[in-house]
Order: sequence, then C-alpha cells, then structure tokens
Amino acid sequence: MWRKIWTLSLRTRGVQAEHPRLFTTTPGKPEKALPPRPKILETEIDESFLRGSGPGGQKINKTSSAVQIKHLPTGIVVKSQETRSRESNRKLARNLLAEKLDQIEKGEGSRMAIKGARATKKKASAGKKARRKYRKLEEEKGVKGRVEGVGSGGDGMSSAVSGDTGASYTGGGGGEVGPATGAG
Amino acid sequence: MPRLAPSLLRQARAIDVLLPPLLPACRDLRSAENELRWLKDHAIKTGRQCGLAHSDASLKRLVARRARGEPIQYILGTEYFGDLELKCQPGVLIPRQETAASVTHLAQQLSKKRKGRPSDLHILDLCSGSGCIPLLFHHEFYAQPGNEHCKLHMVGADISVQALELARRNQKSQIAAQSKRVTAQTTSLAAMRFLHADVLLSEAANAIHAPIGVVEALQQLTNTRPTPAYEVLISNPPYISSQAFRTTTARSVRNFEPKLALVPDNPSSAPSALDGDVFYPRLLALADQLRTEIILFEVADIDQAQRVATLLARQSTWRTVEIWRDEPGATSDEADHVLLDGGESVPVRGAGNGRSVFAYRGAAAAWLQ
Repeated sequence: MWRKIWTLSLRTRGVQAEHPRLFTTTPGKPEKALPPRPKILETEIDESFLRGSGPGGQKINKTSSAVQIKHLPTGIVVKSQETRSRESNRKLARNLLAEKLDQIEKGEGSRMAIKGARATKKKASAGKKARRKYRKLEEEKGVKGRVEGVGSGGDGMSSAVSGDTGASYTGGGGGEVGPATGAG
Repeated sequence: MPRLAPSLLRQARAIDVLLPPLLPACRDLRSAENELRWLKDHAIKTGRQCGLAHSDASLKRLVARRARGEPIQYILGTEYFGDLELKCQPGVLIPRQETAASVTHLAQQLSKKRKGRPSDLHILDLCSGSGCIPLLFHHEFYAQPGNEHCKLHMVGADISVQALELARRNQKSQIAAQSKRVTAQTTSLAAMRFLHADVLLSEAANAIHAPIGVVEALQQLTNTRPTPAYEVLISNPPYISSQAFRTTTARSVRNFEPKLALVPDNPSSAPSALDGDVFYPRLLALADQLRTEIILFEVADIDQAQRVATLLARQSTWRTVEIWRDEPGATSDEADHVLLDGGESVPVRGAGNGRSVFAYRGAAAAWLQ
C-alpha cells in the first residue's frame, strides 16, 4: 500500500515536471573551462615543513601543518597553512605556486586573470541588473506619485515627478554595491 | 618559556579578541590565527549538529580549554596522520607527524623490490596507542603500485585498554572509508587486530592477571603453540627518560598526555638520564622470539638512536642498521653516518632530528637491498 502511494506521488511529480514552470531563470551559457594550471615538476621545487627547531617526537606536540615550497628556477616561495592536514597543505601550496607561475608567464591569458575577469564581469552584470531593477521600481513609484499628484493639484505635479526621478538616479548610483551584493 | 611581547598581544587583540588567550599556548600569531580558525569551524560544526544557531559561547569554551594548554587535537577530537584523519582522546597519545614520516618511508622501502618478497607479510606494532602506525602503514603500502596482491597480516598490541578501544574505533572508520570491493587491501584492513598485552612482561609469570605477555597474546590469537613469525616489528614505545620528562618535555605534553605512553614506568637501575631505554632490549628479545627480519623503532634523538644501534650491533645478526631522521626521504647537508662506541659506522638518512632506527637481517636482506 505504501509503495502504491509512493509510486503515485512519483508519477504526479513527473507530470508536474512536464509542465513549463511559470517563473524560470534562463540558464546562462555554459562557461568555457578554465585553462589548466601548469604542471610543476617535483624536481624543480624545494619543500620544507615549518615546524621550528628543538626536539620532536613524544616530547612536544607540534600542531604546525604548514608547508613551504620554493620554486628553484624562479626563486618564488609560497606557503600554505590553511588546513590541519599537511597533505592537503602540500597540494594547496602546489596549486598556489602553479597559479603564480602561470600569471607571470601568460599575464592576461593566465588562469587567474581569466578567473578574475569572469568574476568582475559577473559582478558588473549583477550590479547593472540591480540598478535597472531599482530604477524601474523608482519609476513606478514616480508614476504612482504623478497619479496622486494629479488628484491633489495641477502645479505640484511636475516638481514631484522631477524630484522622484532625480532620487531614483542617485539611488541607483549609490546602490551599485549594495543591491548587487543583496542580489548575489 | 620566554614571555610574550605586549605589542604582540595588542596586535592579536586588534585582529580578534579571542586571539590573545591563545598566544601563550601557540607562541606565535600565525599559529594562533590558524588554531582559532579551526576552533571556529569546529564550534560551528558541532553547534549545527546540536541544532544551535549561535556558536559563540561554545567557541569561547573551546578557546579557554586551549588557553589552559590542552592539546588542540584533544579539543577537536582528531589529528591528521599522513593522509589519514584519526580520532584522538585524552588518555591516549596523540600521533606525531614524525612517526607518520617514518612509517611512510618504511612502506616505500618494503615496496622497492617485490622479487623475493613473501606474498604475505606479518607486521606487529607494539605500543600501538591510537593504532596510527598499522593504519597508516596499511594505507601507504597499498598506495604503492604493485602491492595490490600482497596480503598484510597486521597486529597492534598495547597495555592500555583505552588505547585499544580508540584503535579499534579508528580501524572501523578506516574500514568505512574503503571501497566495498573485496581486495587484499580491504581484507587486510578488516583482519587487523589490536591485542591487550604487556611488552615488558617477559615470561608467563602472572598469566591469570591481564595483561599477558606479547608472545602469549599472539599465541592466543592464532591458536597455535609454536610462536607465530612476524617478519616486521614496528614500535614507538615510551622512550622519554624521567630526567628528560622533567626538563625538555613540553608542558602541554606533560600535563595532558598519558605518562604511560611517554616514560617507561618500569625503570631499571639505570641512571635517570638513560631510563628511557628500558623498552629496546625487550623489543629485540621479542624480535628474536618472533623471528623478525625487519625492525623500525622510534627514538627520542640521535643519542638514543646511537644507543639502540649499539644494541643491534652487539647482536651481530643484523645485516644492515640505519638511523632515520624526521624526514627520512629528504636530503640534507648533515653528516651521513655516525660512529658507534664499538667503532661501527651507521648510515644516517634524511633531514631533521634523529628519529628512528631501522634494521634488517636474514631473508629480508635479499629483497630489501
């Protein structure tokens, strides 16, 4: 009996899914995969675990899981102490170094630069959308005000409209950061 | 301990008010920041499990515990040991990074040559504590290519019932993390056993009272009268002398970790600077009884390593004796050998402090060299 209800509910769900939804968000274009990080040869790096001097073993309980790697050809040093696991810090440090080298080598075309550019673009478009939305809201408010203004008297109308639109512009401008984060 | 500069405390307070209390335990700002981040994550995680929205009060409690010097591993309940995240609890020694490096290196050494190596390896870890050594050895051994058909028969033994319980819990969570496919790797892990035994008990003197001796415990396990053979014997025994415990052992270790796992509690007539060596002659006697061919013993420093190497040289059955430093695989500018009292030269491998003694003999020499 339970199984019957279960299959039934599944079926109804399936039917619902076939209908188009009323509110849909248009899926964005699938993002092109980021260029891979350059591979780092283990022979080109010097790795050290920062654990300080002094005795080790049972006598002391060192919590340091920090890893430092030096890229021998360029002399770049990166350090990772993000996690408690030394093994994951080793991986993180290698990724960090790979990204740094990539940036030096390719500049604008590097993985980090592309990633950064995408993020700023996304942020800018979100800001733009937010501004558009608030401007529209303000305009609607303005229209409402005008309708009310018509009711109250003829002369006050024009000033009310200009005041409202002005406010909507400054509001939109000031909201560049605020609504964008709110929308995100 | 040198006092902390007031400017450092001010600097810490500017970042987070919870940082200054962590500084005395962590000593530097970077590690205090790291530990605070980990404590925060832990407070949020445990708070969420209890359905609490705010974790501020519990975070303050965690910080207060750490400020008193309690090891962060006991507070968070786990420690990373190589690739493995193992459970920790007060009363059982926290696994050390250096031990992980030695065990990983051993697994690599035993995988270098497979020709002539037995298809079944019997590995015994004495004073197994949290079970970290057999669990990591298992993990690292099967991470090496070409070992997938080799079977490991692993046994850990400890005198502490609390440690045995923790080791079994750690074994269970490692089993849960394995794939469901039945392989030599998964069966070896499931067959790993942790026994209650006293390493220092030489004969079946007080057989009625637990714990019993190691050989007896192994005989009971396999249910055979002739003593079973264990080709590999690993041990990280209590090795701190009573003098070093008073002087060079960190306060946090002295106050919070079990002394049973640190200082041999059966001191012989040796002077207090040398009474940390009690376990090694006993481990070597067991190696003979169990027909062991490969040993890896952890030590406190290069001096103790030389004393243990001298014991091995006197036995004259060991084909090769080596001393390994903290990172046995690394290269360093330090001396690559030491001279023992008897004039023998022993190679010292890797970088860092003297950390362990490795030796092999018999048939193992053929496939290890």
